[in-house]
Amino acid sequence: MISKISYDEWRFWHRSKLAASILIIGTVLTLLSAIVNSVKMQQTAHEREHLQHAAESRFLEQPDRHPHRMVHYGHYVFRTPSPLSIIEPGVDAFTGTSIFLEGHRQNSAMFAEQQQASGMTRFSSLTPSFLLQVIVPLFLILIGYASVTREKEAGTLNIMITQGVSIWHLLTGKYLAVLASGVIMLLPLIIAAAWASLTGEALISTGTFVVGYLLYIFIWSGIVVVVSALSKKSSASFAALLALWVLFSILVPRIGSSSAAALAPSAGKLEADYAVLAELRKLGDGHNAQDPAFVQLKNNLLAQYKVDKVEDLPINFRGAVAQYSEAKLSKVLNEFSERRMQQELAQAKISRQFGWLSPTAAIRAFSMMIAGTSLETHHRFLREAEKLRYDFVQSLNKVHQERLSYDLDINRYKEGVVARVDSANWQVLSEFTFTPDSATTRVTRSLPYILQLLFWSLVIAVLLRVAVRRIS
Amino acid sequence: MSIFSNFSREAKFLFKQKHLWAFYAVVVCLSAFAVYSGISEANHQQATIERLLEKEAIDRENVIAKQKDYGSAAYYTFHLTYSEPSAMAFAAMGQRDIYPWKHRIRMLALEGQIYETDADNPELSFLGRFDFAFLVSILLPLFVILLLHDLRASERSAGRYDLLVVTAKNQHSLWLSRAVILSLSLAAALLIPFVVGAIVSQAPFADVVLMVLVVLAHLLFWMVISLVFVTSKKAIKQSSAQIASVLLSVWLLVTVLVPVVSDLVINKMVTGPSGGEIMLTQREAVNDAWDLPAEDTWTEFLKTHPQWQGKTTMDSPFFEWKWYYAFQQVGDQKASALATAYRDAIIKKDQLAGQFALLSPPMLTQRILSAIATTDTQAALVYQQQIRQFHKSLREFYYPLMFNKAEFSLETLKAQPQYSTYERAHKKHMENN
Repeated sequence: MISKISYDEWRFWHRSKLAASILIIGTVLTLLSAIVNSVKMQQTAHEREHLQHAAESRFLEQPDRHPHRMVHYGHYVFRTPSPLSIIEPGVDAFTGTSIFLEGHRQNSAMFAEQQQASGMTRFSSLTPSFLLQVIVPLFLILIGYASVTREKEAGTLNIMITQGVSIWHLLTGKYLAVLASGVIMLLPLIIAAAWASLTGEALISTGTFVVGYLLYIFIWSGIVVVVSALSKKSSASFAALLALWVLFSILVPRIGSSSAAALAPSAGKLEADYAVLAELRKLGDGHNAQDPAFVQLKNNLLAQYKVDKVEDLPINFRGAVAQYSEAKLSKVLNEFSERRMQQELAQAKISRQFGWLSPTAAIRAFSMMIAGTSLETHHRFLREAEKLRYDFVQSLNKVHQERLSYDLDINRYKEGVVARVDSANWQVLSEFTFTPDSATTRVTRSLPYILQLLFWSLVIAVLLRVAVRRIS
Repeated sequence: MSIFSNFSREAKFLFKQKHLWAFYAVVVCLSAFAVYSGISEANHQQATIERLLEKEAIDRENVIAKQKDYGSAAYYTFHLTYSEPSAMAFAAMGQRDIYPWKHRIRMLALEGQIYETDADNPELSFLGRFDFAFLVSILLPLFVILLLHDLRASERSAGRYDLLVVTAKNQHSLWLSRAVILSLSLAAALLIPFVVGAIVSQAPFADVVLMVLVVLAHLLFWMVISLVFVTSKKAIKQSSAQIASVLLSVWLLVTVLVPVVSDLVINKMVTGPSGGEIMLTQREAVNDAWDLPAEDTWTEFLKTHPQWQGKTTMDSPFFEWKWYYAFQQVGDQKASALATAYRDAIIKKDQLAGQFALLSPPMLTQRILSAIATTDTQAALVYQQQIRQFHKSLREFYYPLMFNKAEFSLETLKAQPQYSTYERAHKKHMENN
C-alpha cells in the first residue's frame, strides 16, 4: 500500500513536469559542484605540496652562514586540503593557507582565499555542502508542499479514508516519495564520498558523512510532509514551509554566528601580541647576551663548567642565551596563542549550539567536523606549524651553541673573521606534511551534532504522529 | 474614487488580517537584532582600537627609554595602524571580517609584514554574519515574495475575486495599491530599527538617506517583479504556490546562480601572482643581501634614493644600520612588481564583481551598502595603501637621521610619525571631498 502511494505521488510529479525539472536541476547542480570542487581541490593540493617541497629545498640549499641568520631566514609551511573538502570546504577559504616560521615570532596564517576572491561567494557558493544544506531543502519544499494538501483540496483524501486506507500508510507513502527525490539529489555526494574513500579517506568517516546527510534529508522530507499534512490548503502549506526554510537554513546559522561574536568577543591576535610584549620585557632580549635578564643563566653555566669567564666556557654563550630566551619566549607565546584558540573555540561552540534550533546549523557543524575542515583542524595546523618552528629554531640555536666558537661569534663584524657554520647543519629542518585528523577523532568530534540531528529526527517522528491524529 | 481613499480602504482591509501583523512583527524583530548585533560589533571594534592604542603607548615609552641609536630604535619600535569602523559600519560589516582592520608594522621590509592578517574567527566568518545589509539584500526579496505571491490567488480562493474585479474600476490599480501598502509596511518594519540604530551611532544624515533609498529601490525592484508576474495573463491559471515557485526561482537565479557563476568566470578572467611568491621574493632578496657586497645593495638603493649619493660609506664593512635598512628597502623594491600585480588582481576582480553585480540586484544592493559604510574591498585596499604611506613616512623620518649621522636625542625620536595623526588627516581629506 505504502509503495503504491509513493508510486502514485511520483507519477503525479512526472506529469506535472515541475517536480521533474527541479529534480534534474538539483542533481545536476550538486554533481557539477562536486566536479568543479574536486578539480580545484586537486590543483590546490598539488600546488601546496609543490610549494612545500620548494620551501624545504630552498632552506637546505642555503650556503654556509651564521646559524642565527638561518633563524631569521625562516621557513614556510603550507596546509594541504583534506580529501572530503571537495564536498565541505568549511573554514578553509577563510583561514590563511601558509605560515612563515621564523625565530622569536609566531606569525599568523596568511593569504586566505577569500581575500583574493571576488567577494561574490559570501552568501552562496558552488560547493556540494551549500547546495545540499541550503538549496536541496528548498527543492524538497517545492516538490512536496502539496503532497497531502492536494489530496485534501481535491477531496481524494476523504475518499481514501473511507476506502480504508490507513493514514499512517498514506503519510509514510508520501514521506518516502519526497525522501526518494532527496536521496536522488544526494547521489552526487555519495559518489564524491566514495571517490574520497578511494583517494585515501577512511571508510568510517565517509560512511558517517553520508549517514549524516541522509539523516538531514530524512528531517527535511519529514518537515515537508508534516507541514503539508497539518495545513488545510496548499498555499498555506507552501507559505509555512517557505518561512521555515528561511528560518532554519538562512537565519538561525547566521544569528548563531552573530550571537557568538556578541556574547563572547575575542581579543584578536594583535592584542595578545601587546600582552606578549609586556611579558617579554621581563624576559630580556635574546640578541643581547649582556641583558641583565641572563645573569642567572650565566652564573649557572659558569658553575656547571667550573670556569670564571664566559670566554672559557666550552660552549658558545651567545648560542646558549639564544636557546634559553627562545624557550622562555615560546612558552609565553604559546600561552597566549592557546588562550586565543580557546576563545575562538568558545565562540564556535556557542554558534554550534544553534543546531538545537535548526537542523541546517546542526548539519553544518557535523559536516565540517567529519570533513576535517573545522576550526579544530585549523588550530591543529597552527600548533603543528609552531612545533616545527620551535624545533628548527632551537636546533639552529644548538648548532650556534656547539659548532660556532664564542670568540669568532663576538668578533663577527671584524675584518677577516668568518663566523659561519657548515651548510650541512641546515639538515635539522624536518619535513612538514599536514595530514587530516584521524577518522575516529573526527567521528568522535561530530557526535554532539549527530545527536542534534537525531533530536530533529525525533521531533519529526513526534510531529508525524500528531499529523496522523489530526487527520483522523 | 480618489487614490487616497482607495489606499485607506485597502489598508483597513489588509490590516484586519492577524497573520500579517505577526509577519511584520517578525520582520521588525529581525531587523532590530541585525542592527543590535551590528552596533555591538562596531563598538567592539572601536573599543579594541582604543585599547590597542593605550597598550601601544605603554610599549612605546618602554622601548624608547632603552634606545641609544636611531637604527635600533627603528628596529624595536612597532607602530599600530588601524581602520576605524565608520558610523555606518553597523549596518553593513562588509568585508571587515576578512580583511584586517588593525595591523602592526615596523621599519623592516614592508612586503614581509603587510600580509599578516589578524582576522576574525574563521568559523564565524564562514557561517556569515547577520547584519542589516544581509537582511536587505538576501532576505528582503523572500519577504516580498511571501507577501505578494498570493495577491490574486488568495482572493480567488476566498471567493471574492470576481466581486472585486467587477466592483474595482481599474483592476490593476487595485492590485497595485495592495502591493504598495504591503511593501511600504515591509519597508517601515525594516527601516525603523535601522533609523534608530543610525541615530544611536550618530551616522551622517546623507549616508542614512542614501541607505534608505537603496533599500527602497531594492524593495521596489522585487515589488515590480512580483506584481508583474502575479497579474500577468500566464499567472491567472496558476495556484499561489506555483506563482511563488516561479518567483523563488528568479530569486535563486540572481542570489545564488549569478554570483556563483560570475565568481567562476572572474577567477578564470583574472589571475594574479600567488601571495606566497611575493613573500619568497622579498625574503630571498633581504637574506641574500647579507652575503652580497654592500655595493650591490647601494646601487639598487640609490636608484630610488639618489639624494643619499656620497653618504653610503660605512664605518664597519659588516654591519651598519643604514645599510641594513637599505637592503630592507631593496627587498621591497624587488618584490614591488609582484606586489602591485597582486593588488591589481584584487582590484580587477572587485571591479568585475561590480559589473557582474548589475545582473544580480541582491549582490548590487550588498555592494552599494558596504560601499556606503566603507567596509568593502575597496575600503580595505585604501587602508592597505595608508599603511604603505605611513611606512614610507617612517623611512623618510629615519633615513636623514641615519645617513646624516645625526646626534641621537630622545626628543627627536619622540617626534617620529604617528599613525593616529595620519588617520585623522586622511579622514579630513575624505570629508572635504
